[in-house]
Amino acid sequence: MSVAGLISVAPATLVDGEALLDTAVASVVAGLFVTLTASLAIYGFATAAEMRRLDRGLAAVGAGALALVSTLAFAGAIVLGLAVMIDG
Amino acid sequence: MDGDVVLVIVVATALVFDFTNGFHDTANVVATSISTHALSPRVAVGMAALLNFAGAFISIQVAATIASDVVDAGAITPTVIFAGLVGAISWNLITWYFGLPSSSSHALIGGVVGAVIAAVGTAAVDGEGILGKVLIPAVLAPIVAFVIGALAIILAYRICGRLRPGPVTRGFRLGQVVSGGLLALAHGTNDAQKTMGVITLALIANGNLPDTGFDVPTWVIVSSASAIALGTYTGGWRIIRTMGTRIIKMDSAQGFSAQGAGAAVILASSHFGYPLSTTQVIAGGVMGAGAGKRVSAVRWGVAGNIVAAWFLTLPAAAAIGAVCYGFTSIFGDGAAGPVILSGLAILLGLTLFAQRIRRGQPVPTV
Repeated sequence: MSVAGLISVAPATLVDGEALLDTAVASVVAGLFVTLTASLAIYGFATAAEMRRLDRGLAAVGAGALALVSTLAFAGAIVLGLAVMIDG
Repeated sequence: MDGDVVLVIVVATALVFDFTNGFHDTANVVATSISTHALSPRVAVGMAALLNFAGAFISIQVAATIASDVVDAGAITPTVIFAGLVGAISWNLITWYFGLPSSSSHALIGGVVGAVIAAVGTAAVDGEGILGKVLIPAVLAPIVAFVIGALAIILAYRICGRLRPGPVTRGFRLGQVVSGGLLALAHGTNDAQKTMGVITLALIANGNLPDTGFDVPTWVIVSSASAIALGTYTGGWRIIRTMGTRIIKMDSAQGFSAQGAGAAVILASSHFGYPLSTTQVIAGGVMGAGAGKRVSAVRWGVAGNIVAAWFLTLPAAAAIGAVCYGFTSIFGDGAAGPVILSGLAILLGLTLFAQRIRRGQPVPTV
């Protein structure tokens, strides 16, 4: 039986376990995804700067790409979250 | 005519409650950004006020829960809602005076439920709605925020822990501008909607809105958003003056993780219509971000305060709401009861406030 099923069975029909589980899962996924992308963006930017300082051009480009993709993912996650909220 | 007078008093009382909510909660919303120097106090407070205002417009799910899933709107009157509001405000003042932990959100729901029980009995109380949409989420939300905060800081340290601290601190401070903004937006979304829900409930009870379906008038949304934003802005300047002595020790990565955790939980809960204690959720996120770095860094006293607030606030506010309704009903069904009770409540509030200020005691949070 799923976790949602267990929550639903416990207090019979009183608690909408699925909605509670959806809320918890959405919170965890959103919170961790935003932290992951922000951390990777910071890692990418900091490493790219370090690699440029050491004259390692290719590594700098790779780290810069990681920073760019992570920043876009971070911004996308925020926009998506707000869009879901506004759509209700 | 009497009904309209009571309605005006209810709306004014609800907006005062909303203002004090913003005033009281500013510290929770901006403290992390200010303490890690991600934002200057002025910018943090200004941004929080603006985003609290904006947040009130992005959802009405929580307002729908307050108006539809807590009590039967068709079975109550504006006087009942007024008594509930006074019960909530009184409990907030009492806990503020004695330094006890409290949640404005739970006080509001408890006060309204208590007044409804006193007026029409338990039949008008939606037990399933309160259990499923208020009590269980109230317990789960700070725990989920704690877990997210702890996992997020572990993730952040894993990825950025070996880098030079300068760029990492600057990066997470920049991230905090976003996460702090989201937290302010989330606070406005969840907390302003509680006031919207109560005002809508009063409008339904007074016959100004139909009790079938659910619709929050635009003026209710705008006035609730304005009250909480004004409260946030006003409270913010007081916080700025005291920030030096109440500073929270955390680095920018922890600040980012804590704010992200709080915002994620509050926004997701608002989307599903769960009215939360935003203060408790933010405290959960902060403790999680602290525990993720070092378990002994957690202020377990704060966790104890949250548990105490769970057990105390709802029944106590309900009892006061019931007493308030009993008092107003002595003067009949007209506006006399609410008018007299308003006067007494203002007098009591001013007296407590003056005593507290004279003693120079700090204002408790949570």
